[in-house]
Amino acid sequence: MAAANQAMPADHEVYSNVVYHRRIVHRRQITFFWLVFPALLWFLAFMLWPLLNMFYISTTHWDGLALPQVSNFPDNFIRLYHDPNIPIALRNTGIHLLFGILGVLPFAFMLGFFLSLHKPGYRILRTIFFSPSLISVAALAMIFLGLYRPAGVLNSFLNTVGLSSLTRVWLGDQSTALGALIAIDIWSGIGFYSVLFFAALTNIPEELYEAAMLDGAGYWTIMWKIAFPLMLDFFGVVVILQFLYILSGAAQIVILLTNGGPGSATLTLGYYLYSQAFLIQRLGYSQAIAIVLFIIGILVILLIRRISSRLSY
Amino acid sequence: MSIRDSRITQKARNSPDGFVIGGYLFSILYAFLIIIPLYFVVISAFKNNSQIITTPLALPSAFDFNKFLQAQANVNLLRAMLISVAVAIGAEILTLVLVFPAAYAIARMQTRLAAFTEAVFSLGFLIPSLAILMPVYLMTAKAGLLYHPIALVILYPAFSLPLSLVLLTSFMRKLPRELEESAVMDGGNVLQIIFYIFFPICMPGIITVLVLNFINIWNEYLFALILMDSNNRTIQLALALLRANQRTVDYGLIAAGVLISMVPVFIVFIFFQDRIVSGMFTGAIKE
Repeated sequence: MAAANQAMPADHEVYSNVVYHRRIVHRRQITFFWLVFPALLWFLAFMLWPLLNMFYISTTHWDGLALPQVSNFPDNFIRLYHDPNIPIALRNTGIHLLFGILGVLPFAFMLGFFLSLHKPGYRILRTIFFSPSLISVAALAMIFLGLYRPAGVLNSFLNTVGLSSLTRVWLGDQSTALGALIAIDIWSGIGFYSVLFFAALTNIPEELYEAAMLDGAGYWTIMWKIAFPLMLDFFGVVVILQFLYILSGAAQIVILLTNGGPGSATLTLGYYLYSQAFLIQRLGYSQAIAIVLFIIGILVILLIRRISSRLSY
Repeated sequence: MSIRDSRITQKARNSPDGFVIGGYLFSILYAFLIIIPLYFVVISAFKNNSQIITTPLALPSAFDFNKFLQAQANVNLLRAMLISVAVAIGAEILTLVLVFPAAYAIARMQTRLAAFTEAVFSLGFLIPSLAILMPVYLMTAKAGLLYHPIALVILYPAFSLPLSLVLLTSFMRKLPRELEESAVMDGGNVLQIIFYIFFPICMPGIITVLVLNFINIWNEYLFALILMDSNNRTIQLALALLRANQRTVDYGLIAAGVLISMVPVFIVFIFFQDRIVSGMFTGAIKE
C-alpha cells in the first residue's frame, strides 16, 4: 500500500491530467460533430423531416397546394377505417408480398448456391442473372409492355404453340393483371438475390463443405443441411429488402403500366397512396395512408429480424 | 485456382452429378427467360411495327434507325439525357462532399458519438420512399425549386447517403491505424488528413460508391416524376412519356427509347461488375 502511494503523482498533477484528457475528448467530439454535420443535416432535412411532416399532414384536411390546410384530426383515420378501397389495397399488397417474396427466395437461394460452386460458366451466368437489376423501373415497365400487350410476345408465343385459348389482354384482364405485375418482380428478383446469395455463400469456409463431402454428402444435402442453416440470417436480410421494395418501390410499375386497374385489380397500398396524393390531391388523407404503409413496414421488419435471430440460434 | 476448384474436379471425376446437371438446366432456363425480353427489346428498336408483331423474335432484316430519330423528335431524348447526366454529376459530387468527412469521422474517430451517428443514418434504409414523397414535394414547392433539376441535385444525395456511408466506413475501417498517426505527428489537421491521405487511399471505395450512386440516380423515376415537368425531363421520364404520348402503342419507338436509356448503365456494368455486386452485397448486410 505504502509503496503504491509513493508511486502515485501529487493531487494537482492528477487533476491537470484529467482536465487535459477531458479537453482532448471534448475537442475530438467537436471535430467529429463538424465532420458529420453536413451529412447529418442533409439526412435530417430530406429524410427525417419529411417523415415528421407525413405525421403532421395526416392530421389535416387539405385538398391542394393552393387551398387552405385545416386541422381535422382524427377524421382522416376514421375515413381510412371506412374506405372500401383500403381492404382491397391491403389484399392486393398482401398477395404481391406473398408471391413476390415466396416466388423469389427458394429459387434465388438455390441458383446462388449453384453459382457458388464455381462450375464452368458461373461468371457469365452471374452476369446474366444480375442484369435485370440494372434496368430502371421505367424501362422494365416498357419491356414488359411489349410482352403483355394484346399483340405482344406472350400472346404471339401462345398462338404459335397452339394455345390460342390462353391468350388474353394480360394487363387489361382483372384475373391476370396483378399476377403479370408480380411476375416482373419475380423475374428480376430471382436474379438479383441469387447473386447476393452467391456473394454471401462464398464467405462460408471451405472446410465445412469438405468435411461433409468426405462423409459422402452430395451437393443437395450440403445445400440444405450446411449452406441453408448458415444463410438464415441472410434470408432475413433478403426478405426485408424485397419486402420494402414491394411495399413501396413496386408502386412505380403500377403507375407506369396499369394505374391500379382494371377496376381495382392492381390497386396496391403504395399506388393508392400515390393516387390520393398526386392524382386526386387529397393531401391530408394520402398521408394517413402513408402512415399505414410506414407502420406496416416497421412492424414487419421488426418481426422478420426477431424471427431470423431466433432461428439462427 | 483455389481449393474449391480442386475439390470439385475430384467430385466430378467420381460421377456425373445429378445436382450439377439440374443446376445447369435450371440456370440456363432462367438465363433464357432473362435474355428473351431483353433481346426482344433490342431488335424491336430496329424494326417497323408490323414486323414487331408478326415476327417478334426474328432478327431485323435491315437496320432501320428511324425509330431513334422519331423518339428524339417525339420527346427530345438527347436533352433528357443531358439533364440526367447533369443531375448525376451534381448529385455525385455533393454526395461525396457530404459523405466523405462523415465516413472518416465515424470510421476513424474514437468517440461514443460514432456508433450513435451511424445508427441514425442506418434508419435511412427503413424509410419507404413513398412515405416521404408528398412531404418532399411540398418542401420543394415551398423552396421554389419545383420543376428545376437543381431540386434533384439537392435531393438525391440524401437518398445516396446511407449506402455511401456504409460502403466508405467499412472501407476505411480496414485501413491501418498508423495512417493518421504519422500525419498527426507531422502537424496535419483533420481536413488535411482527410483530403491528402484518406481521399487518395480510399479511391477504390469511392469508385464503388460513385458507380452505385450513378446507377441509382440514372434509374430514379418516382421523385423525378413528381418534381420535374415537361421542360426538364430526366431520361426515365422521357422514356415513360414515349408510351403516354401516343394513342396506339408504337412499340418500336418505345424500344428505341428503352435501348438508349439503358446504354450508360450497361457500359458502367461492363467495367465495374465486381464492384457493383460487392457494393450491393455490403450494403445489404449492413442494412
